[in-house]
Amino acid sequence: MRFALVSSFVPFINGGARNIVDWLAATLRAAGHEVEIVLFPEVDDPDLLFQQMMAIRWMDLSMADRVVCFRPQAHFIRHPHKILWFIHHIRIFYDMWETSYRGFPDDHKHRELRAALTEADTLALQEAKAIFTNSQVVSDRLQRFNGIASEVLYPPVFDAGRFHCRGHSDQVAYICRLEHHKRQHLLIEALAHTQTPVTLRLCGTSAGDRYPKELQQIVARYRLQDRVVLENRWITEEEKVDVLADCLAAAYLPVDEDSYGYPSVEASLAGKALLTTTDSGGVLELVKEGVNGLISNPTPQALAKALDRLYAQRHDTVKMGVQAKHRLNELNISWQHVIDRLTA
Amino acid sequence: MKVLIVTNMAPFLWGGAEELAVHLERNLIAAGHRAETLRIPFQWEPAQRIVSQMLMVRTFELTNVDRVIALKFPAYTIRHPGKTLWLLHQYRQAYDLHEAGHTNLKDDATGEEVRRLIREADDQTFRESRKIFTNSQVTSDRLKKFNGFESEVLLPPVNDPEIFGGSSDKGYVFAGGRINGMKRQHLLIEAMARAPQGLKLIVAGPPDSPDDAARLQHCVAQLGLQDRVKLDMRFLARREYADYINNSKAVAYLPVDEDSFGYVAMEAAMASKPVITTTDSGGVADFVVHEETGWVATPDVAGIADILHQVGASPARARDMGASCLERWNGLEVNWNMTVERLMQ
Repeated sequence: MRFALVSSFVPFINGGARNIVDWLAATLRAAGHEVEIVLFPEVDDPDLLFQQMMAIRWMDLSMADRVVCFRPQAHFIRHPHKILWFIHHIRIFYDMWETSYRGFPDDHKHRELRAALTEADTLALQEAKAIFTNSQVVSDRLQRFNGIASEVLYPPVFDAGRFHCRGHSDQVAYICRLEHHKRQHLLIEALAHTQTPVTLRLCGTSAGDRYPKELQQIVARYRLQDRVVLENRWITEEEKVDVLADCLAAAYLPVDEDSYGYPSVEASLAGKALLTTTDSGGVLELVKEGVNGLISNPTPQALAKALDRLYAQRHDTVKMGVQAKHRLNELNISWQHVIDRLTA
Repeated sequence: MKVLIVTNMAPFLWGGAEELAVHLERNLIAAGHRAETLRIPFQWEPAQRIVSQMLMVRTFELTNVDRVIALKFPAYTIRHPGKTLWLLHQYRQAYDLHEAGHTNLKDDATGEEVRRLIREADDQTFRESRKIFTNSQVTSDRLKKFNGFESEVLLPPVNDPEIFGGSSDKGYVFAGGRINGMKRQHLLIEAMARAPQGLKLIVAGPPDSPDDAARLQHCVAQLGLQDRVKLDMRFLARREYADYINNSKAVAYLPVDEDSFGYVAMEAAMASKPVITTTDSGGVADFVVHEETGWVATPDVAGIADILHQVGASPARARDMGASCLERWNGLEVNWNMTVERLMQ
């Protein structure tokens, strides 16, 4: 079959949204399909949303047997066999309307824009032959804001077979971009409250210099230099596999994330227990307390207890790691399942 | 600098322009820039949908980009203050091909309107661009004739110059590239029937259609040339293709009115091979200096057969002309370093 994978992008910015497109393309090609990736530029300026929506409407991909749409406003494309793998709305007009991220006033004009966008989105969504989302959180939003049912199709990571478990050190690994909403600071503060000699490894890059500096200061303030490895760089895929193979457990504590996030799937593939928090959103679709990881309150004190428990009750931690791998099968997180659903 | 290459995509097809964009991106990065390519889908059939696709491109919003290098219609109509054009071609069916009667734009009111809109969008694009380069004198001449804009010719370099080192003369004339009526491989085969017995011909490349392949096979069989003409009609790996060029006596390329020098001629020059072409081959005929770097024949069987006699007559002369051909090519300074530098001026 001929697949066109359509998504919006911002030039020179890479992220998870591009990974899912590239990985799906590689997987479809390996399964014998022809694939074309169509990325078009899009900016989220409220005054430009509707004209950009028209632009997508004018795109002609009739050469493809099926199109799969990802980031907004790709779902506006016209095609007789449109499939959505919906990863988020333009969130400032939806669930983030009431937050400081909105960036424009809650006035008549913007309320009207919001209503018009919701109406247009709903119509575009209704045109699709099938609607998949990347998480229950996003499916719930589609139901709540657009009244549209969807199926969760969890995005697997690429080449899952390379992850493995080699043993269990004293180190909890957090491999993720260093950003405030990922809350590495909380984990370092928690370490200061622990009773056991458990250690941390934080690896990732940051959009700016501020947050990594802040993290260094926290490490210094609590004199944790001997117990925290802070690597402010994008480690290679091979290094990542190694870190996860050897660590005691993995942490992932974002603030209200939409999806479970690749870091938690990668750690699960390596057979490692996960540490997350009660307010981490989509991660809670994956982690079950005491089964494949621990779910802590998002405070240093509570996280310290969880870290101590991972260290002290090592036998349970190892067992939860084994369960983490099983949990992926339970949720059907595999490329084979993705291909089956998209070609159905 | 963050440089975005903007070009078209004919979904599920890959051709020379796509390859050029890949190598341009690679060479921009090698020169220390950040580079990505935006490929915008374009379907020119049915013709009445051309206008909405122009609007689509014009409506796109670009951020986080310092420079745009745009290659083709309608992708090059994208809005950006730092836009440089490297024009590979306009929508020729609205211009020279329309004049020649080869167009999908009907001669009715709608067709006229689409042509007018294409011309206007083009003019606007050419006005707002920082600089306009083209891939050939022919493209520059057309731009001047139809839209009245000046431009500079910037020939696309060969993407993998290192594989065209030349080596030996195994006594055959090589005709490479796509096989179709416009490239006139059949003329060469017919001329072979009148060429010296010792000379051989190899035609290699992907046929555009089964009919194109059958026509050449039929021609060879009918003239009884099976021993002297080898047909290798398929898509060749670059190495295989380069081997054919590197071991040839001369390279023949006889397209009808080609826009540019054509990669075949440039690759032959890099391998120090003389080039055989015809007086009506457009850019290729500009490249070849008759009896110095190759031969420019009249585009008929007798004319080409006459040249084949000269080619077969003296291996030493063919070798000398090949050396002159390389010299002429080197003098043109068509390489990626210069190309990137000029595009980024």
